[in-house]
Amino acid sequence: MANSTSILEWLGFRKASGVTEAGWGHTLLVGIVSFIYFLPVLFIIFTAIKPQDLALSVPPTISPTSLFGLIPDQYVFTPTLENFGSVFSRVMTPGGSPEATGFDRFFFFFIFISSVSVLLALVIGTFAAYGFSRYPLKGNDTYLFIILTTRMLPAIVIVIPVILMFRVTGLSGSYLGITLLYTAFNLAFTIWMMKSFFDELSTDVEDAARIDGSSEAKVFLKICLPQVVAGLAATFVFGLILTWNEFLFALLLSNADTRTVPVAMNQAVSSGGRGTDWTLLASIETLFLIPVFLVTFFLQNHLLRGVTFGTVKR
Amino acid sequence: MNTAVRDLPAPAMFEFDASNWKLAILAGLAISILAALALPASLSFWVIGAMAAMIAAVFAINAYRRKYYGGLLVAPAIAVLFVMNIFPLLWSLGLSFFAYQSNQQTIRFIGLNNYIKVLTNDIAAPANWDALINTGMFVVSTVAAQMIAGFLLAMLFAKQFPLRKYLLILVLTPMMLSVVASGVFFTYYYDPTFGILSYAIGEVTGEQFILMDNKLGAVTGIVFADAWMWSPFVMLLVLAGLVSVPKYLYEAAAIDRVSKWRQFWTITFPYIRGLLMLALLFRTIEAFKLYDLVYILIRGGQDTKTIAYLIAEIANEQNKTSEGAALSYVILFMVIVLTNLYLYLANRRNQGA
Amino acid sequence: MSTIEIRKVTKMFGDFTAVKDADLKVAAGEVVCLLGPSGCGKTTTLRMIAGLERVTAGDVIIAGKNMNELSPQKRDIAMVFQFYALYPALSVGQNIAMPLHYEKLSKEEMDKRVMKVAKILHLDTVLDRLPGQVSEGEKQRVAVARAIVRDPNCFLFDEPLSRLDVELRHSMRGQIKEVLSGLSKATVIVTHDQLEALTMADRIAIMRDGLIEQVGSPHEVFAKPANVFVASFIGTPQMNLIEANFKGYGDGKAKVVFDKQEVTIGANAGVASLKPGKVTVGIRPRAFSVASRDTKDTIDAQAELIEPMGAETLIHARTITGGDIRVVVTRDKRVKVGELLHLVPDPAQTHIFDESGKAVRA
Repeated sequence: MANSTSILEWLGFRKASGVTEAGWGHTLLVGIVSFIYFLPVLFIIFTAIKPQDLALSVPPTISPTSLFGLIPDQYVFTPTLENFGSVFSRVMTPGGSPEATGFDRFFFFFIFISSVSVLLALVIGTFAAYGFSRYPLKGNDTYLFIILTTRMLPAIVIVIPVILMFRVTGLSGSYLGITLLYTAFNLAFTIWMMKSFFDELSTDVEDAARIDGSSEAKVFLKICLPQVVAGLAATFVFGLILTWNEFLFALLLSNADTRTVPVAMNQAVSSGGRGTDWTLLASIETLFLIPVFLVTFFLQNHLLRGVTFGTVKR
Repeated sequence: MNTAVRDLPAPAMFEFDASNWKLAILAGLAISILAALALPASLSFWVIGAMAAMIAAVFAINAYRRKYYGGLLVAPAIAVLFVMNIFPLLWSLGLSFFAYQSNQQTIRFIGLNNYIKVLTNDIAAPANWDALINTGMFVVSTVAAQMIAGFLLAMLFAKQFPLRKYLLILVLTPMMLSVVASGVFFTYYYDPTFGILSYAIGEVTGEQFILMDNKLGAVTGIVFADAWMWSPFVMLLVLAGLVSVPKYLYEAAAIDRVSKWRQFWTITFPYIRGLLMLALLFRTIEAFKLYDLVYILIRGGQDTKTIAYLIAEIANEQNKTSEGAALSYVILFMVIVLTNLYLYLANRRNQGA
Repeated sequence: MSTIEIRKVTKMFGDFTAVKDADLKVAAGEVVCLLGPSGCGKTTTLRMIAGLERVTAGDVIIAGKNMNELSPQKRDIAMVFQFYALYPALSVGQNIAMPLHYEKLSKEEMDKRVMKVAKILHLDTVLDRLPGQVSEGEKQRVAVARAIVRDPNCFLFDEPLSRLDVELRHSMRGQIKEVLSGLSKATVIVTHDQLEALTMADRIAIMRDGLIEQVGSPHEVFAKPANVFVASFIGTPQMNLIEANFKGYGDGKAKVVFDKQEVTIGANAGVASLKPGKVTVGIRPRAFSVASRDTKDTIDAQAELIEPMGAETLIHARTITGGDIRVVVTRDKRVKVGELLHLVPDPAQTHIFDESGKAVRA
């Protein structure tokens, strides 16, 4: 008994051994709570794999399987992957007249502008973060706090002059305008998060490299950057997610041709929701879920830094 | 670290030198003002932009010559933030003292009249006050809901148990999803005819259930969706505090036979107090900005307009730009007061400890 | 009665055996030290007694009751943690009072008890401070105060002095010993510091790789180590352990050969029953006397490195065939580097270990 590890033990079926450890009973409890919490997302995924004509069915179909007869047949639908294929091709009819969804365009442009702006913010922000971390200026904390506040500000306060500014410069409704705006929008977050990564590095190696005659640029590129690659990746992905979340600027600054996906999705919901192609929207949302899942899984340790702009260290 | 700074003599005030930033600022400001007065807006903007770029370049040269690497590294970021955030902010502050509508050409200085108007005018003010009250209500209810739900979730996840990492993903996903996208789906769930919520309640009560047809229902719907999306944020912060409590403290408490209740208040709570305050601050500021859900779920109907919603409406749809700016400064002022109150309380806490 | 007994206690972490079949009895009023290098399972053993870890097999018996299934709360024990585990948000006084809440005492009674132990441990002036505001030594005393403020079944100490500097450690050893002697409870102290164990313990249990190698009084484990490990672990400088070939025994002397040197050295009568073969000869560095000339009884070695240690001098010497021998001589004995020493081991302090490493004794 003492020497053999049974499969049950390996799976974690054992009595809790420490004061701060819990067993499978706790897993069951948390599992139920988490499942209920996850239901709205689960229904989005289910809607994405529903046949299009069942999206508005009454009663709503809620499950792709009857779970061995547990769920009555009227609530069960047959899953299909068709909707994903038609994300880029389906014709949608909000308000009656057939009209191409345009999601194919929005989708790729949106991914393009968010990647470009996040990348730009990452380059500029990483330099700044390194500067703040390694060459503290007089009143360093004040600068950092001001930078943080630019993201804390109600976006609505600056959106008016930005609209005016864009109108004056002709950037209004252009991809360039939105890209620049999102670069600024991501900067504060990038600086704070990258600074927290740089702060964590030991400066001994850098000093050693300096003593060995490396230039400042070399210290940064050859010593520092390689150590924060994971942090860069985390910041990049969080930037993307933040950008996908942004709505107000995109709504007020884009026109019919330059909508971001969130705006386009919102526009696609016709009043009353009856004419809305829910399965299509759900498929798009499910596609965006994939990176979200990956981030949550692989970057769990960076997550707190990400959502709090690096103000909280683990 | 900063030993490389070289002490070059500063150039004299009017010496024409590529690193004389004082002269650059002076010249840049003068040309900008001249351009703003003499040229049409669409041209003067670019002139001002060029001047800003010149000042930035001079700063960069100055920093490089003196080996102020810090300044050099930080400058591009500051420049972008200045153009896209701080400059608009100042512009909108300026606008709030003028009478200006974006669909008209005239612009006139009227001092504090915009502020007086949005807060006291017979026609405009009641709607603003209603929106302010709505915002306050949303702030209190969404933040309270998030704090409670987030805290309870964190307590559930604080222990080590099998499959913890996987279950955590389920709970964290709502926060990572686009607010708009999941908001859009809440309209789907809340729909009176084919929505799953109405159907479920209809099956029980036998009547058609329409969540959004009164203010209480609409507010509940919005608060629920918002709390669902952001409780994981509070949970993450609280969890960070909970896992930072050294395990041996709980072990010592077990040996000392301390009750669970006392353990929470004497051991656990001191560790999460700061993070709870931080969560409160972050969420309160965010709640002040509540716009997207009100727009997506109900388009501001059922008397649920928040102040952010109203500003967007006033400034964008009704073109009352300067009034909108004034109103935005009212919320900005409130957010600043709140932040400072928080910082004051947090500091007093630290000094007391 | 305040006693502790563990019977055949085993702890597995997955496939790793942290403690194997450990047996130990601690009588009331007795102080037992668990001593061993880090990772030997001594802390795990202590935590199993406390109930912080479940036993995989075996029994933990405290005050005559089997405690296997009981949580730490129900075992009525007091423990001093390695990092003191003071509650950071509570004042020193509140920290000491924590275990008393369980007994639902009146406020006055509680204050009285706290004050009493605070006086014993000289903490009465810092009762209102937070743990972060007192010195390392005071923190340690608070941890002890919290343990002795109530009347538990037994006391457990996990590396209680490891965070103190040398001087404080010395004075705290005395203080803890004094406090414990007045309480007549079974006490287990975990330590990796042999000096701590030798000075504080009534008995020492030496552990290695999850096994208890020897249990005995400080004198026993030093004078009669049960095996090579205990012999090498106890005593500084370390005992010389010389691998040798045992040829035979006669006349109170053992004839051994290491490499090419054949020596007869004094040994106990038990060695007579040993078959010729490989043995390990253990001689403490202080057990040598230096003879003036080479005889059959001497080990010859050349002094290589000389370390003065104050009252004594430690000499690292090398035998003709390259073996390393440490010798401690008194300060007045002058030795030069390169000098050839003729070393005579004291028969009473010479240990012979058989091939498996066990000591051979009469």
